[in-house]
Amino acid sequence: MVVTAAEPSDETLAARAAAGDDSAFEALVERYQVRIFRLACRLTSETDAPDVLQETFLQVYRHLSSFRGESQFGTWLYRIASNAALMHRRATARRPAESLDMFLPRFDALGTHAATPAELQVASHADELLDRQFLADKARHVIARLPELYRDAFVLRDLEEMSTADVAHALGVDAATVRQRVHRARLMLRGYLADLVGAKS
Amino acid sequence: MKPIACVSGVELLMEYLEGVVPPELRAALDEHVAGCPRCTAFVESYLAVPRILREATASTVPVHLEASLKAFLRARTDAFKEN
Repeated sequence: MVVTAAEPSDETLAARAAAGDDSAFEALVERYQVRIFRLACRLTSETDAPDVLQETFLQVYRHLSSFRGESQFGTWLYRIASNAALMHRRATARRPAESLDMFLPRFDALGTHAATPAELQVASHADELLDRQFLADKARHVIARLPELYRDAFVLRDLEEMSTADVAHALGVDAATVRQRVHRARLMLRGYLADLVGAKS
Repeated sequence: MKPIACVSGVELLMEYLEGVVPPELRAALDEHVAGCPRCTAFVESYLAVPRILREATASTVPVHLEASLKAFLRARTDAFKEN
């Protein structure tokens, strides 16, 4: 969101809300609810996202007094939302996700790509070749199959487009760890998308 | 610096794209990718992943979501203040 001079900053609203101004809290909710809902969809599912959204803002309300402005409000909020999604996933765990390891790239003994260029290019054309609803369903399915640590890092970094430093802060790990997890997720997802297009054509 | 194999390039791709590999290694990677069609295609498909999945998961917000969130928070924050 672009904050104009007339609009109070997130941090100003958070300070007012912490001092008991409920309208400031509601303004923060209005400012972020769509983004947090979308994040919750990506980290859980469209069915679970409303619960995660409610839990996130409830936690924000309860912990406003501990927000010290050491990080941006948005980063702090995303950290709470990520944790709320994690707790929700654990509480509603159905079955362990299957591994996406089979979709990792393959190399020969010399370390050269084992696949042909045609196969490698296929992921980048997935969005042109696949029906949008089909792709949306498959995207949610495959993101849910990522190992939890990779999924959170990938969703925040690549789908929410946060900086690596902000993701590191939100997840409580260092930047190198974020890069490693996001990279691993991208490799798995790339292979999955290539397989999806290959299987359909 | 000795020539880079595709597998090393893939391992370093994220660091490379974020600009955190040393200049000498970066130059070696650039040289390898420029002469390797498989790596060129790999980088293209790797970069496509976030874009495709970002677009595919750009959900719309249900119509009643804002109202129900507001009602939920009003009830729960009032309860919180009473405790």
